[in-house]
Amino acid sequence: MATTKTQTDATEHSGDVRLSGISKTYGTFTAVHPLDLTVPQGSFFALLGASGCGKTTTLRMIAGLEEPSSGTVHLGDQDVTALPPYKRPVNTVFQSYALFPHLDIFENVAFGLRRRGIKSVKKQVGEMLDLVQLGEQARKKPHQLSGGQQQRVAVARALINHPKVLLLDEPLGALDLKLRRQMQLELKRIQTEVGITFVHVTHDQEEAMTMADQVAVMNGGRVEQLGAPADLYENPRTTFVANFLGTSNLIEAEVDTHGADEVVVKAAGDKLVLPVARCAAPARAGGKVLVGVRPEKISITHADEAGSIPEGRNRITGKISNTSFIGVSTQYMVDCAACPEFEVYAQNIDRDARLAPGADVVLHWNPAHTFGLDADQSLLAGTTGDAGVAEGETV
Amino acid sequence: MTFVNWLKRNLVVIAGLLTLAYLLLPNIIVTVFSFNKPNGRFNYEWQRFSTDAWKDPCGVSGLCGSLSLSLQIAFWATLGATALGTAIAFALVRYRFRARGAINSLIFLPMAMPEVVMAASLLTLFLNMGAQLGFWTILIAHIMFCLSFVVTAVKARVMSMDPRLEQAAQDLYAGPFQTFVRVTLPIAAPGIAAGALLAFALSFDDFIITNFNAGSTVTFPMFVWGSAQRGTPVQINVIGTAMFVIAVLFVLASTVIGNRRNRRKA
Amino acid sequence: MSTLTEAPPPLTPAAPEKKPPRTRGRWTPYWLLLPGILWLLVFFAAPMVYQASTSVQTGSLEEGYKVTWHFVTYWEAVSEYWPQFLRSVAYAASATVLCLLLGYPLAYLIAFRAGRWRNLIMTLVIAPFFTSFLIRTLAWKTILADGGPVVGVLNTLHVLDVTGWLGWTSGDRVLATPLAVVCGLTYNFLPFMILPLYTSLERIDGRLHEAAGDLYAKPSTVFRKVTFPLSMPGVVSGTLLTFIPATGDYVNASLLGSADTGMIGNVIQSQFLRVLDYPTAAALSFVLMAAILVMVTFYIRKSGTEDLV
Repeated sequence: MATTKTQTDATEHSGDVRLSGISKTYGTFTAVHPLDLTVPQGSFFALLGASGCGKTTTLRMIAGLEEPSSGTVHLGDQDVTALPPYKRPVNTVFQSYALFPHLDIFENVAFGLRRRGIKSVKKQVGEMLDLVQLGEQARKKPHQLSGGQQQRVAVARALINHPKVLLLDEPLGALDLKLRRQMQLELKRIQTEVGITFVHVTHDQEEAMTMADQVAVMNGGRVEQLGAPADLYENPRTTFVANFLGTSNLIEAEVDTHGADEVVVKAAGDKLVLPVARCAAPARAGGKVLVGVRPEKISITHADEAGSIPEGRNRITGKISNTSFIGVSTQYMVDCAACPEFEVYAQNIDRDARLAPGADVVLHWNPAHTFGLDADQSLLAGTTGDAGVAEGETV
Repeated sequence: MTFVNWLKRNLVVIAGLLTLAYLLLPNIIVTVFSFNKPNGRFNYEWQRFSTDAWKDPCGVSGLCGSLSLSLQIAFWATLGATALGTAIAFALVRYRFRARGAINSLIFLPMAMPEVVMAASLLTLFLNMGAQLGFWTILIAHIMFCLSFVVTAVKARVMSMDPRLEQAAQDLYAGPFQTFVRVTLPIAAPGIAAGALLAFALSFDDFIITNFNAGSTVTFPMFVWGSAQRGTPVQINVIGTAMFVIAVLFVLASTVIGNRRNRRKA
Repeated sequence: MSTLTEAPPPLTPAAPEKKPPRTRGRWTPYWLLLPGILWLLVFFAAPMVYQASTSVQTGSLEEGYKVTWHFVTYWEAVSEYWPQFLRSVAYAASATVLCLLLGYPLAYLIAFRAGRWRNLIMTLVIAPFFTSFLIRTLAWKTILADGGPVVGVLNTLHVLDVTGWLGWTSGDRVLATPLAVVCGLTYNFLPFMILPLYTSLERIDGRLHEAAGDLYAKPSTVFRKVTFPLSMPGVVSGTLLTFIPATGDYVNASLLGSADTGMIGNVIQSQFLRVLDYPTAAALSFVLMAAILVMVTFYIRKSGTEDLV
């Protein structure tokens, strides 16, 4: 796990967020299936999934804005399941911020302090506004600020209360791409500075991977996989994770031989090798398995040069159907017997002019970069066409 | 040719301004005739200029008494209808409960009912109950027909309110009461104010329902009605003109203040 | 008022039934509804029932009334007063059409062409409300006075000949004719047409006009194909807000009309307040209510707009 900070066991448990068997049903619809999750204190934790996957509902149950149908929520040793939101030491940065339109920036930020009966708030609010670089704007109304400024007010308004946990519900969703990048770094900086546990809900896999120490990928009300971003990316255990985090080429294959370290599979005549350790499926000889490889791990070579490919690499032949030039890289779509839309990303170091649509090519990669998945699931799970539930259903 | 084009482009503006003139013409007449000195009891024909009525607006017996009664009724009716209507609007928008459809119809029907029907049926009830017609029956009737309008105005505002604002308040340690006072009420205030203003105007100017249920009590519209039969004093025009001018000044002043505030904050 | 938000508003669209977080919150909506709904039940719904029962009673003021299921009252009332019924519908319908024709340009002007004058014009539309409508209706007596400038102009232009031939006016008079009553009704309910029209016009994105123009629609086509269809909710609620009260009105007919222009409201009023024939008055008012509900329901179905208010 990525959260191996220098902490003793005792402190590690005192501030953890622990969800035990927590679930949420609306009538016959189950938004969140019973779920166990521990968010270690001080970590930056992301709940990642498409809209309707239950991530926001999970977050709202931690905040107390949604009552779980079953299960408990613990903050450290305290059971907060029955506490209303205003009694929980937890604060939220809401989607589209929910800044109070009738109060100015200063009063928005001071709101939580005042409700807790703190009289002299001026100094604290001033400091907090300086932290988010909005000291000048204190007397403006929210609608007079830009999206990025509003976002920082929302963060300041929550952080000033020194919550045990800060919940962020798609906090960057309304910002444009450039600002979003900037705010990702900014939020990460603030988190490191204040050391508060952040639980961040997002549908943007890049955002989750850039910011979080740990990511829980959710789908259909369940956690599909939990782990550090690199771990999730390199070792997806389901097709959903493989497709939702980045892009994967998935090939349906049949197990040929099953050795101690390696599994050899056959896919449309090509023999491919993958490490046993990276195979998430029970691979018996003769059984089916899905073989996956990330597009950037693959080298593309024109068929005329096939002889120059070193031995011991997985290889597949095909024909380029489409290329798109991205700048730093070129993306090739290759039509192979095993997989009609094989994607390859090649760095633009030396471009081979022959690699144009229609060219016969050999794709090859290090067998160690191959992973295996259970063949008993949809190949397309987690691709954009498979979002399933409509936008906004879990708001 | 260019004139025809100009006319074509501005046809809607001309037509709109003509309608506006049609709307304002009676007010102009009312104002002009407040400076009339009529011969006889009716103030329908121009005789000669005089400021007598402006110098003594209460000079006709019963006029200012009826005006003050109307203002009192309008005040209490506004208060009652706004309180009851706001509560209903919140319940309709914020909660799920049984008989929702029936309640929505019950609120809609008074607005889709000719006044004379409501007036007559309410009078039947009061007569059957043996109620003494007067201030209280008028007030009851006014709260009844203003209620639906307040519900509609407040509902529109509460519906457009982001529920996350109240959740944010709760998240920031505001209990239910604090949330209501600090966040819900201030944000819903324009809707409530609009509803209250509407209720005041409706109540103050109501004639038909009042006429049925007032007994021998005389409100300002009833005073005007009575004088239309017996003779119209110029003072009626004075009051009408004054109300019009006050209303226009009030709206203009609040617009100017609003603009200035926005400019200062910007 | 603290009970108002006892439960945090559970506004999850996916949640039709939400288990309330605290038990007290479950009854909150009923407490909120109770006083207002009770008020409407007692002073709006119950009177309707009383009225229905009154309409089938017989008796006299001195001896009191008894329910005798005397439905003949309805027959007698309708057969005696059907001209007033027809007149009410005809006058109200004419006034509604006139309101739409007059109000639409003004609403359009405020919504799209008024610029910085918008607030002022809006104020001028609303402000007359504060001068009692009776006073303003009386002013029409002056405007339409016999031998006054308006009548003079209409006479010179021979308009009165045409309206006289149509039966709208008689001789050299406008006052005390159907035209005067319709004119008063139109005037009185015009703001109720303009405000909903304005509200629905104002919501229309100005870029839609540009887009339609860009797609080869000439201004009149833009209006027919884009603006007017989009303003339909305003047209529907405006016509209802005009037609319904106009049908039951008796003030304009009393002040500006004559004995020949009596509307059903005049009959109900005099039966109730002067003749004191309560069963007949109740029956008339019940028929009026039923007729309006039927017409309104039919109209809403036809226009395909269910959300009026």
